Amino acid sequence: MKVRCDLHIHSCLSPCGDLEMSPNAIAQEAKKRGLDVIALTDHNTALNTPAFMTACNKAGIFGIYGIEITSSEEAHVLALFKKPETAVEMGKLVYKSLLSGKNDPEKWGDQVYLDDDENIIGEVEKYLTGGASIYSISELLEMTLKRDGIFIPAHIDKPQFSIKSQLGFLPDEEYSAIGLTKLPPIMELKGKPFITNSDAHYLHNIGDRSFTLDIEDLSFSHIKEAIVRGKITIN
Amino acid sequence: MKTDELEKNLGLVPAYNDYEINNIVTGFTSDLLSDVMGNADEDSVLITIQAHKNTIACCSLAGITAVIICSGRKVPQDMIDAAKDEGIAIFTTKDNQFTTSFKVHGIL
Repeated sequence: MKVRCDLHIHSCLSPCGDLEMSPNAIAQEAKKRGLDVIALTDHNTALNTPAFMTACNKAGIFGIYGIEITSSEEAHVLALFKKPETAVEMGKLVYKSLLSGKNDPEKWGDQVYLDDDENIIGEVEKYLTGGASIYSISELLEMTLKRDGIFIPAHIDKPQFSIKSQLGFLPDEEYSAIGLTKLPPIMELKGKPFITNSDAHYLHNIGDRSFTLDIEDLSFSHIKEAIVRGKITIN
Repeated sequence: MKTDELEKNLGLVPAYNDYEINNIVTGFTSDLLSDVMGNADEDSVLITIQAHKNTIACCSLAGITAVIICSGRKVPQDMIDAAKDEGIAIFTTKDNQFTTSFKVHGIL
């Protein structure tokens, strides 16, 4: 079966994410736009993934629970998991390791997380995009794979917070796939599969970039396997 | 100047012993490794706080033979292993990049 995926979406928990980006609104909008699989990937925390799971179930769309982590190299990488609990646990380690100051909501935006009924249940104190984690790309990769997750360097061709901008070369690691914004790739990908995601911060951007996976069955393990094996068509 | 003279003259702490001794001609200070890749000279010492193994890959590609990790940041083992493989010396110092650069410039 073929499924259309967007595995890089921000919610209202990211300071740069629009307040309208509640887990529920994201799931509904993604469904409307014909996506089958979506991942929530807020910056350096996964505290909105439990509500995102309920929202995806309600909308009848397959949810993946992730984090967009700022590595010590200041490159953004995606760690994606089967269960919100795993994402939250990994997110707590990452958040604790963030070399970042306190968020100023007036300056940088709110960082709120919600319950299933869209009530605000908390606000994150550290500025989520204001500093890097102490963990390097290879350490984050190891932490993700240890938890049976999917590890994807995000938008490696962007002019900031990407492997290209921070390192200038692609370290040879066991990435599940490589995230791109444009085709053809501007770097040598060493035979790794690649995908494109929207990196949506606003509802109207969900699915702007996406990819189609050819999978045996709609489950996390089959999605992971299809990504790693490169059964991908860029939309 | 030789790598071991740099260590002794500036009171640097080596991250591992028996490092390869090279001739250090100049220095380059940056925490953005793509900048290092693009602009550093060969046979330089890199002054940075980027303590991870990708720094070594970058030094290797740029022809840098020694790294000073500033502000007392810890050097992880995989960075040390990569540096040994590539023949790149790693030192640490409590000074920040500004002070370290000033000191390095003063003795080169």
